[in-house]
Amino acid sequence: MIPKEFSLSGKVAVVGGAGRSWLKELASYLGEAGADVVLFGQDEKQMAAAAQAVKTMGRRAITITTNVTSSREVEKMVAKAVGQFGQIDILVNSFDLQFAKPLVEVTVDEWNRVLATNLNAVFASAKAVGKHMLERKQGKIITISSGLAERGLPNSTAYCTSKGGVIQFTRALALEWARQNIRVNAIALGWMAEGAEVQDETWRNLLTHYIPVARFGQPDDLAAVLVYLASDASSFVTGSTFYVTGGLMAHG
Amino acid sequence: MLEKLSLDGRVAVITGGGGGLGTAISLALAEAGADIVVTDFRPEDGEKTAAKVTGVGRKSVFFRADVTKSDQVNNMMAKAIAQWGKVDILVNCAGIVREEQPKPFWEISDFEWHRGIDTNLAGAFYCSRAVAKHMVERKYGRIINIASGFGMRGRRNSFMYNAAKAGVILFTMSLALTLSRDGIRVNAVAPGLFQTWGGAARYDAAAPFIPMGRVGQAPEIGPLAVYLASDASDYSTGEVFSIDGGALFSGYAPVNYVPVVSIDK
Repeated sequence: MIPKEFSLSGKVAVVGGAGRSWLKELASYLGEAGADVVLFGQDEKQMAAAAQAVKTMGRRAITITTNVTSSREVEKMVAKAVGQFGQIDILVNSFDLQFAKPLVEVTVDEWNRVLATNLNAVFASAKAVGKHMLERKQGKIITISSGLAERGLPNSTAYCTSKGGVIQFTRALALEWARQNIRVNAIALGWMAEGAEVQDETWRNLLTHYIPVARFGQPDDLAAVLVYLASDASSFVTGSTFYVTGGLMAHG
Repeated sequence: MLEKLSLDGRVAVITGGGGGLGTAISLALAEAGADIVVTDFRPEDGEKTAAKVTGVGRKSVFFRADVTKSDQVNNMMAKAIAQWGKVDILVNCAGIVREEQPKPFWEISDFEWHRGIDTNLAGAFYCSRAVAKHMVERKYGRIINIASGFGMRGRRNSFMYNAAKAGVILFTMSLALTLSRDGIRVNAVAPGLFQTWGGAARYDAAAPFIPMGRVGQAPEIGPLAVYLASDASDYSTGEVFSIDGGALFSGYAPVNYVPVVSIDK
């Protein structure tokens, strides 16, 4: 039996994606739990597939093309979403732009793009949706981060910085809105299948043997934890980071 | 995907099952479909939880054991495995929070030190050791250790509890790595302050110091326990899940310190 606290029936979730965001999967888990879903971002193909997946489950879904790094566009998106569905109960930020190269070769443009997508977009959407949530005195915000928020990796300064920022943003905002009945939590992912690292057989084998549970993560590994943090099941949880890394965080 | 949260057909052992959190976890796991072996050193409280589990339509049995005595733990676990032929889930929830009465640090006796460490840390080791071989043979297991936010933070005049809970967290990580290739997941839950016994008035003084402005109610831990006990958490092991109303990452300033300072002087 699935505990009733995990239900999202009657809730509206806004899900933003950029880069490697698993938008379709994230949206379908929320839809499965009963939520209507608004998708925002610029990957229209991915958003359309996500909306279709939600509709297949008998829930409502719309897509709003939005530059996630633009506060102005994100604010317009929120106004549209509220206009369409009347409320926003849940915000999920899944922004994940990656690249890897030595620091001395990283251009200012590359650095800024990673920080803009992975971190500034979290600020823009939490601020815009948060205003609406503060008025209603309720809401759940979920940011998607990475184990690399807490650990280092060569050739990954920009990515590690952005993901560490996401978790600190999550903690600080959780305290700021704790008394307004808005919960802010993070999910931190490990090595996920579909990434650049799985394309190369040598790296893939190296990592598979290194990961304690001996496999890459799949989007489905996030389903229950996402719905947990989005629902009343997590009523006493805020400022937390839930790691779903296959055991990597326990490694010495 | 959410059907993975179901515990239909699973058997769980809950230590400290007669306590506030132990009762809530027993009931949540039972409602998700698991049959429950309740264990506690307090027979009346343990029997009460077992009766409640039966009340929600699952099978339940109570076995008495003091988790600080490994012979009693081994005996309890053997009976638990024999009861329905297997144990899928172990929740190490037995613990004691603090001494009978606060006293100067230098007056803590060897006995008090060992009692605190044994109940909160050795108990989790004895119970995990007693079931791990069975789980490895079946290539399946879920172990949930109830740690505490105080396993990651200090507290005045709290030594055995904090040291033991920190130990529980690191024990969780090492055991997780040791058993990760055998289908076993080991995770810790770090609760903040929960109303586990006595009336709400006992907790009124503490509530303002928690970011959310209230303490947790025992049933609120249930869904997290179900998640970690189920196949839905297959990709998490050796990790610590905080459920504390925001407490873990406060503590840098009093909760009511909300600065407003201009960026331009």
